[in-house]
Amino acid sequence: MSSHREAPEISKDPVADNTDTYAFVSPDRPDTVTLISNYVPLEEPPGGPNFFEFGNDVLYEILIDNDGDGLADVTYQFRFQTQVGNPNTFLYNTGPITSISSANWNRKQFYSVTVVDANGNSTALGSGLACPPCNVGPRSTPDYENLAQQAVHSLSGGIKVFAGQRAEGFYVDLGSIFDLGALRPFQNLHLIPLPATQGVNGTQGLNVHTIAIQVPKTLLTSDGSNPTKESDSRSVIGVWARASRRKALIIEGNGQFDEAGPWVQVSRLAEPLINEVIIPMGKKDFWNSQYPVNDSQFVKYYAHPELAGLLPVLYPGVFPNLAAYTKPRADLEAILLTGIPSGIIPGFQNFTSKTPSDLLRLNIAIPPSANPNILGILGGDLAGFPNGRRVFDDTVTIEIRAIAGVTIPLVDPSFKPDGAAGLVDDFNPPQIPQGVHYQQEFPYLGVPIGGFQSQPHPVS
Amino acid sequence: MVKLTRRGFFKQTTASAATIGVLAAAPNLAAVVENSAPDVPAAETELSAATLTEPMLAHVRDVATGEVSLMVGEREIIYRDPQLVMRLLRAMH
Repeated sequence: MSSHREAPEISKDPVADNTDTYAFVSPDRPDTVTLISNYVPLEEPPGGPNFFEFGNDVLYEILIDNDGDGLADVTYQFRFQTQVGNPNTFLYNTGPITSISSANWNRKQFYSVTVVDANGNSTALGSGLACPPCNVGPRSTPDYENLAQQAVHSLSGGIKVFAGQRAEGFYVDLGSIFDLGALRPFQNLHLIPLPATQGVNGTQGLNVHTIAIQVPKTLLTSDGSNPTKESDSRSVIGVWARASRRKALIIEGNGQFDEAGPWVQVSRLAEPLINEVIIPMGKKDFWNSQYPVNDSQFVKYYAHPELAGLLPVLYPGVFPNLAAYTKPRADLEAILLTGIPSGIIPGFQNFTSKTPSDLLRLNIAIPPSANPNILGILGGDLAGFPNGRRVFDDTVTIEIRAIAGVTIPLVDPSFKPDGAAGLVDDFNPPQIPQGVHYQQEFPYLGVPIGGFQSQPHPVS
Repeated sequence: MVKLTRRGFFKQTTASAATIGVLAAAPNLAAVVENSAPDVPAAETELSAATLTEPMLAHVRDVATGEVSLMVGEREIIYRDPQLVMRLLRAMH
């Protein structure tokens, strides 16, 4: 998973667990950038009567570094509050919910949005903003799309926000990849071979909780400009998201809790799959506690990624050139930790600085693609990952191929990638699996799967 | 033994024992402040019972040095008071 159960401790705390972060120039409002952070991994749609929600005791943040120092210059904070209409019923809703203010909805959630500048000055952007309910089913939430649309709020300054349940847009063959690194389309070549088959989307039919904010570009750049040249250093922003909890929690034992102390970061996420597959088990919880500015301590895991060493072992004879490559992976360090400087890929750069930091780097001067390619820059589409990340980008294939060596020639022209490096994927050919759906407009992730409409997983 | 929680409450504790107190009543707060060691920053001593509208948590981070963390609201104050810590330890027996 991008970051759904990536570290031992945060996997026990789903409401504070970042799953995916996205940043892209809005295709239908190209003067804006859309920033999305998902939380609450692997939501089974029928999970009632206490359906999924954000944590009232969690501080959610989307952070932007616009000067390359690995520190936040613009931070959007989201704080949630739940209101129970009738505490004397067990029901989530007592009738059809036809509007987000419906009295039939018994457990509403609202939130505030605050922006914090580089000096720590806070400005309230909105409060009492309603989330939509979860998608329960045709009786309880009969027109879900309309309900969710009511939860898209316009704030001053041309900002839009949405917070609530969405369909999972990240696709990956989870069951196979974590079964000793198997890729079903190529598992006939695996050390423990099975007949090759098409991939199976492990997130099919699941939901997440999304915080999305659409912001004019001029509110994100270092000088309030709207750069139009991709070579302009002001055009690159670094984005990450995180969740924090109060430092102290006392469980009183009567159903009451006391919390105190400063907010402490318990989860973070920028580039996909970093804590998942780059950071080793013993460092994962620690990594989640760290700020991007301190990521130099993790460079060694990028320079010699464990997965690059495993591929030749798991697929004997398939990756001989990768197996023989012993230099530090400067390609991965550039792509994932500093950004790609000018002169490497024609018409593109997303370099922030030499400070290694895990940021989703977006060059906002590059316009949205009229014909997006899910392989992003690997597919010749400069508007896609790793130039930020769009909701539909196939980040699993892109990163597997990069780790397999396909991007080494960007920094070391003497290296010849193995033939398989440019072919490996978990769905073959690379594709958005059937059933995964998106929206053309904000918040871009699709209508969540309804509890009634979902089907139990088959057992075999 | 110190218990580990996922929120890192005790993460930095090096003591062989720790005491947590929820000091919700004003007289208790006053007692803590009165007995605090001289290394309490002057600005922090301005906290008064009148300003305390929510629970205050005290966390003994290190018994050996008497290092105590006080948390109220979103603030955290670290100070040393070996005598207070010793009295708390005696209260545990």
